[in-house]
Amino acid sequence: MKILVCIKQVVDPEKVEYNPETRTIKRNAQHLMNNPADLSALEFALRIKDVYKDVHITTLSMGPAECESKIKELIEVGCDSCVLLSDKRLAGSDAYSTAYALAKAIEKLGNFDLVLCGESSLDGETSIVPPQIAEYLNIPHISFATNIKVFDLQRIEIERKFKNQLFRFEVKLPALVSVKKDSAFLRLPKLSLMIKALSYTPQVLSLDDLENFDFSKVGAEGSKTSVDRFVEQSFEDVKCEIYEGLEAAQIECIADLVMRFL
Amino acid sequence: MEYFLSEEQKIIKKLAKRISDEYVSKVAIKYDKEGIFPRDILDLLAYTELTGVYIPKEYGGFGGGVMEMCLVVEELSRNCAGVAVSYAATALGAYPIILYGKEEQKKKYLPKIAKGELIAAFALTESDAGSDVSSIKTTAEKKGDYYILNGSKHWITNGGEADVYVVFAVTDKSKGPRGISAFIVEKGYEGFYCGKKEDKMGIRASSTTELIFEDCKVPKENLLGREGTGFIVAMKTFDRTRPGVAAMAVGIAQGAYEYAIRYAKERVQFGQPLSSFQAIQHMLADMYINIEAARAMLYSTCRMIDSGAKDFSKESSACKVFASDVAMKVTTDAVQIMGGNGYVKDYPVEKMMRDAKVTQIFEGANQIQRNIIASEIIKEY
Ligand SMILES: Cc1cc2nc3c(=O)[nH]c(=O)nc-3n(C[C@H](O)[C@H](O)[C@H](O)COP(=O)(O)OP(=O)(O)OC[C@H]3O[C@@H](n4cnc5c(N)ncnc54)[C@H](O)[C@@H]3O)c2cc1C
Repeated sequence: MKILVCIKQVVDPEKVEYNPETRTIKRNAQHLMNNPADLSALEFALRIKDVYKDVHITTLSMGPAECESKIKELIEVGCDSCVLLSDKRLAGSDAYSTAYALAKAIEKLGNFDLVLCGESSLDGETSIVPPQIAEYLNIPHISFATNIKVFDLQRIEIERKFKNQLFRFEVKLPALVSVKKDSAFLRLPKLSLMIKALSYTPQVLSLDDLENFDFSKVGAEGSKTSVDRFVEQSFEDVKCEIYEGLEAAQIECIADLVMRFL
Repeated sequence: MEYFLSEEQKIIKKLAKRISDEYVSKVAIKYDKEGIFPRDILDLLAYTELTGVYIPKEYGGFGGGVMEMCLVVEELSRNCAGVAVSYAATALGAYPIILYGKEEQKKKYLPKIAKGELIAAFALTESDAGSDVSSIKTTAEKKGDYYILNGSKHWITNGGEADVYVVFAVTDKSKGPRGISAFIVEKGYEGFYCGKKEDKMGIRASSTTELIFEDCKVPKENLLGREGTGFIVAMKTFDRTRPGVAAMAVGIAQGAYEYAIRYAKERVQFGQPLSSFQAIQHMLADMYINIEAARAMLYSTCRMIDSGAKDFSKESSACKVFASDVAMKVTTDAVQIMGGNGYVKDYPVEKMMRDAKVTQIFEGANQIQRNIIASEIIKEY
């Protein structure tokens, strides 16, 4: 069974450095992390590999060369191969362009039985890349999975929890599934795999490696959406008021404050 | 400081640190309070393959040495020495097999220890034989295909939890230390029981128990090394595992030091953070100096041992003594810096101070270590 997991490298919100002058986010390798929802998807792939022997997991990422250091972490948990689609011409691509480029890369990489994605990326939050990839690949897709069970390498069962309801879907493979964040936590790495990752270099693809690629569909030019403007949210005008003691007057002030925000 | 660890050693340290910070830190206070054996953490160490770092490659391990073992112990100890000692005691039980095991014994036990499927222990001390190891009274009498063990052991780390025990017993009373032999005893052998569990001051997550042997039948192929070599087996093992105690001490000290600095920067008295008072700054500086010195001594001892050097009892004792004394001093100072908050169980340094104490006692009290060092250096000059 061949599984492909799409994994984006995003800027770690805890390490993010923002340049207010240029209104851009610094994207150094040290600031990157693998998108959490994608790692939940990867964990499901690894669980399938735990049970079935002949499972090969490939990961696919799209981004600049800096992503390589984070991609190595995927080898550390048990991925068999990692691919980075990296090309300057992809800069500024929106969800539509990204889905197109990823689908083309998936086609190029071969016939996958199962394609997994995270429900959305931390920085984009559109959730539309996975279904669009499925459209391009012309395979069925199910979004927001909270569990994946493999029956017999031909069919899988997807669970989706939504509020208090549990939905079960059965899908014939090949199919694409997008996975809800936190539905599974990525396992720890293994020492031997960390050593393997030391000397591992992901396969890097450029757009020239892809077949029948329509260059007009990608990059800022090829995108259907564009960023109009950034709005900076400042927390400076949030006032902190301290009410000391537990006198009736203070309690009244606090109660007032609570009411204002209800 | 840059310790010039190899890339592989850096990875081991990083992985152990991650488990320590993400998992051990969360359970340290609870396991200490309730005396819970950290089997879940040992399972994680097994999954990540850290259980096999010091086991030779041909027996399914990573092929590292004392250094690799110490790096794991140090990182686990930063958050909980009780967890660390539960890991380290398996190394204490495995080293006699690595050093003196016959091929069949190595093949039978080491791969499973490497995978974390077996937990090991080392049983030497008795109620009347602590520092004076050679006065042990447990006997092993050969009868046909078995040795029959009788007696009891005290203070055995991983007691009751371990699957394999390296047990020392007297096979020939007339020969003194040369009449002691080592045996591999498996949990479940007839006549082998686990006795009382100790209610300890520190390292409370670890299990320390009595072991009882009543006509315990041990197959003769479980004799480790030759009959009468038990004392050497024990001493050569300790030479390799005392750095493990030093690593535990360095880890505890590092944990207390990191906590104390963060606390000193946050706690405000007289309108300024504690860290701005020179009295506190000097304590922090001394902590740093001592920890780095202990770690430098530990790592160079490990390198010496792993290089294949023949004799390193003195170095191994010296790093154990120095690091354990540092741990005691640093944790006591960390409690001092935190004042009342240092003295209560809501903060981890109180536990660290209790944990540090044992590093000065076990695997040979520091007085005994100084005896070893002194006898060596006097011989040298
Ligand atoms: C938590 C814990 C776990 C342990 N785990 C194990 C284990 O897994 N396996 C095992 O075999 N043992 C284990 N031990 C035993 C440990 O190694 C002994 O406690 C230690 O060697 C000291 O022996 P003792 O406690 O009998 O002290 P004693 O021998 O009674 O010594 C008491 C004190 O007297 C002093 N002293 C004794 N002899 C001399 C001397 N010749 N010169 C100067 N001073 C001296 C020392 O200061 C010493 O601290 C463990 C002990 C503890 C506390």
